[in-house]
Amino acid sequence: MAEKKRAARKKTQEGFFRRLFPRYENTSVDLTFLVMVILLLVFGLVMMFSASYAQGYYREGNSYHYIVRQLAWAALGLLAMFLFSRMDYHVWRKLALASFPVVAGLLIACFFMPPVNEARRWIFIGNFQFQPSELAKFSLVLLFAHFLTANEKRMGRFKYGVLPFGAILLVYVGLVVFEPHLSAAILLALMGVIMLIVGGLPGKWIAAGGGLIAAGVGLIAAVPMLRERFMERFTIWQNPESDPLGKGYQILQSLYAIGSGGLMGTGIGNSRQKYLFLPEPQNDYVFSVVCEELGFVGALVVILLFALLIWRGFAIVIKARDRFGAMLVTGFIAQVGVQAILNMAVVTNALPSTGISLPFFSYGGTALAILLGEMGIVLSVSRQSTVEKE
Amino acid sequence: MASVPNKKMRGRAVFIAAILTLLGFGLVIFQLYRVQLVEGEAYKQEAMSRQLRATTISANRGAIYSSDGQVLAASATSWRVVFSPAGITAEEAELLADGMSEILGTDRAFILERAQNKKSFYQVIKTRVDKESADAAYQFALDNKIDGVTLLPDSTRYYPYGTMASTVLGFVNADNEGAYGLEAYYNSTLSGTPGKIVTAKNAWGTDMPYTYQDITSAEDGNSLVLTLDSNIQSVIEKHLATALTEHAVQNRATVIVQDVTTGAILGMTTMPDYDPNNPQAIVSEISLQKLAQYEKGSDEYKKAFAHEQQVQWSNKAVNEAYEPGSVFKVITTATALETGAVTMNSGFNCTGSYVVGGITKHCWKHAGHGAQTLAQAIQNSCNPAYMQIGQRIGGTDFYNFFRAFGLTDPTGIDLPGEESGYFYSEAQLNSTQGNLETAAFGQSFKVTPIQLITAISAAVNGGYLYEPYVVDKILDCEGNVVSVTEPTVRRQVISEETSRQVCKLMEGVVTAGSGKNAAVPGYSIGGKTGTSEKLDSDRGYYTYSFAGVAPMDDPKVAVLLILDEPYETDLYGSTVAAPVVGAILSEILPYLGVETNFTAAERAAINAEVPNAVGQSAHMGMAAMTQKQLSAVIVGGGDTVIAQVPEAGAVIRKGSTVILYTDQESRQQKVKVPDVRGKTGQVVNTILVNAGLNLDAEGIGKISDTAVAVEQSIEPGTEVPRGTLITVKFSNSVKQEASP
Repeated sequence: MAEKKRAARKKTQEGFFRRLFPRYENTSVDLTFLVMVILLLVFGLVMMFSASYAQGYYREGNSYHYIVRQLAWAALGLLAMFLFSRMDYHVWRKLALASFPVVAGLLIACFFMPPVNEARRWIFIGNFQFQPSELAKFSLVLLFAHFLTANEKRMGRFKYGVLPFGAILLVYVGLVVFEPHLSAAILLALMGVIMLIVGGLPGKWIAAGGGLIAAGVGLIAAVPMLRERFMERFTIWQNPESDPLGKGYQILQSLYAIGSGGLMGTGIGNSRQKYLFLPEPQNDYVFSVVCEELGFVGALVVILLFALLIWRGFAIVIKARDRFGAMLVTGFIAQVGVQAILNMAVVTNALPSTGISLPFFSYGGTALAILLGEMGIVLSVSRQSTVEKE
Repeated sequence: MASVPNKKMRGRAVFIAAILTLLGFGLVIFQLYRVQLVEGEAYKQEAMSRQLRATTISANRGAIYSSDGQVLAASATSWRVVFSPAGITAEEAELLADGMSEILGTDRAFILERAQNKKSFYQVIKTRVDKESADAAYQFALDNKIDGVTLLPDSTRYYPYGTMASTVLGFVNADNEGAYGLEAYYNSTLSGTPGKIVTAKNAWGTDMPYTYQDITSAEDGNSLVLTLDSNIQSVIEKHLATALTEHAVQNRATVIVQDVTTGAILGMTTMPDYDPNNPQAIVSEISLQKLAQYEKGSDEYKKAFAHEQQVQWSNKAVNEAYEPGSVFKVITTATALETGAVTMNSGFNCTGSYVVGGITKHCWKHAGHGAQTLAQAIQNSCNPAYMQIGQRIGGTDFYNFFRAFGLTDPTGIDLPGEESGYFYSEAQLNSTQGNLETAAFGQSFKVTPIQLITAISAAVNGGYLYEPYVVDKILDCEGNVVSVTEPTVRRQVISEETSRQVCKLMEGVVTAGSGKNAAVPGYSIGGKTGTSEKLDSDRGYYTYSFAGVAPMDDPKVAVLLILDEPYETDLYGSTVAAPVVGAILSEILPYLGVETNFTAAERAAINAEVPNAVGQSAHMGMAAMTQKQLSAVIVGGGDTVIAQVPEAGAVIRKGSTVILYTDQESRQQKVKVPDVRGKTGQVVNTILVNAGLNLDAEGIGKISDTAVAVEQSIEPGTEVPRGTLITVKFSNSVKQEASP
């Protein structure tokens, strides 16, 4: 029946534009998911404004410095989301293979850019700057979704089930690791792994992957240099007071902020830790400000929104119209979910410190715009899915 | 419509969703629970210690007033210049050090050293800076765009009268905390409660750009109104200073003036003293001489310097016990009379020595006083007689009364560090080793001057032992009375009858005995001399003392003077100490409004009858006047006195001027009587003498600094002959209520 409808529609559609933006009849996007996205975005913007207020005042001489830019990018992102949600997501499959050399090239280009804090993660074009690793995440999802769809029946064979994914991961993660940008590498890897698992990677390969990870851990334990580096992080993680003004500074300040929040928080706008104590409160530590200003209760609301987004996202996955759509949504939801969890775990010191931003909340225009665009794609998938839209 | 993902994929999707939400968010929620709810308070405290800056607003320290309303100690607002090293660069620090050393006189190196504390937000450049300099310092920072220089209110303690009553007042330390004296004893009363401004700061140490502060306002300290009277205080200090230099007193001297009817301290001084405005500086010449033998800056010097500081800060009247010597015979006498051991009619024989416990003790008069009455025994200050009196009292009664007179315990005076001396146990007194007999004439034990004067007051005031006190009233910062000290009677030690007898005996000491030098014409003074050997001093020095009481028909005031170790040793309390107390009483009795009651002999001593000069040569007339201790002015060009003013036979004060006219023309010259009302004694005298008139003072007497003229016998403006006697009536000015 669906095939028939699609065929009928195809007949009536003409031209590039109509193909790009098909006219859907009696179909709408997943409203629950859309509401979650909008709530997170609004919540995120408000908290980012609060968190960046002092930072803008002291560092940029303008309290609105960050929020104005973020709002502009959010508007662009919303436009992208709207357009992408109306687009037939199959368009992206055509871009998947083409994105690989572009993203790989941009990642390589990073190495020729001036370093920021000894890391070359950014590409600067005039005043404009962005991290190609953000694009790498998007590209990774497209590529994995493409190959998982193309190789659906051949996943059991190494050449189809492991090789292409391994190669993509090797290139992307490898390049990102050497920027170095460990958190982005971890995120890329986890996104890939989740997509492979959901995409039906046979159990034996999953087991092999698990073995590989175990081997990696063993390597860290075996090689003294790696172990020392790891132990240093581990010590700071377990006892940030051991170096309160050095490596433990950021996490301590974050814990002061979160702890100050208590159950109900100090009230929105009343964070004290954002006054230059927290490093970049508008960015990686925006959740610390949320915890300080809105307390345990406010933090739970944020977590709940993310959890609902993830659940609804996987509901879209399950009801997706086709495998490519399902895999796209899996990738994007994995990205949002893993990134949110890692960020929250890091700023609450549940995991060792690493720089990772919080989707919808952290300052970063291009990342936000790309994220919203991705959410548009998820909506586009939901539009064609069988899930209940209420 | 079946969905495309197969069952395996759906299962795995749900699995991943569960892992992410349950495991991932579960971990985060657990950690949030731990950080926010379990350890939240601890993190919050840590955070606040970094986020908040508490600035203390110092409360204004209360003032100290004399009973006559003079400000003895007060605080002036000043400024504390502080800076935040965290907020300035090294170049700015250099610039700051240059500017501040110039404006505030602070050592440049000191500021640079402070600036090294890069993590500090608060370093003091200088405290107690006057407004002008503080403003200049702030302006300097503004002009040079140096952030983080702040002015905070500070307070400077000052003592307008300098050294006056310094050992009683004490002083404050650099933090405005009372360090000595009343400042220390009443520190919490005076200091009030400091307030606090809590401001939020950012990690750079600068305050937040908006008002985020919590102010607890400072509660100003209360003020003290003392029982000390500034006039009495200056009188005793003036006379004691003279005595100090005259007798080269080596170990400082003290005077206490006590109101015998309440125990209130009207005056108290220890000299040489110090200036509480600069308490660290050694003032005493003797101390400076001692220090001169050490090399400046050496450890010995520092040690000696610290010791001399302790010495000059010590309030001898309260903090140091001494052997009272013969002055204590007043207490022995009171005890003996009260216990009935002796009566006014008892007789004692002095052979010049007395053997107790196998030791021969000599009387100061080696020839002996022979048979004496009780009155003669005390007048002679005869030790053998008092040894006998002690024996008659007996150890137990002597001990009990010694205790009852409050001599074994601190008096409870509201001054810090009160000592209480030492005395025999009852058993030691009852032994036959001569302890009782020696104690009876005031040797071999120690009491503090305040204990002794309080006991003497009890002996003369009807037997009531009061608790001495220095603070009369406590006022709040608006001048409202917070509390008034009520005189506290600790106990009645002797009967009123015994007390009257003691008064009579003490009066005898001054009228006929060793205390003659303390006599003041017009007043009935009682007293007792003391010359005590310092048994614990290897230098063989003596302490000379005198206790004076007046007026003896109804005692109001007691004065105890102690000169510790005058340089010469062949002196007596009667010759060294008694005259000083007499001089003090002669000034403070009129001031206190004690009525004069001149005997005929005293009158004659003060006044002179103007002899007749009319008809004599000017030269002879003048000689006649000089002979009568009057001065004379010859007016006119003649040789013979044709008239004189005042007339012959008039009784005028010695030293007054008699005008001798030698021609008629001059006699016609009249002078206008000036208006002297409202002026004090010396001023009135000067005005009248300048106008060519004579003063006949009535009332309190011109000697008092505060008594003012209220009436004059001839109206101002009236023309009178030169030399006319103007009778001026003086009265004590109405004492003003002390108010801030």
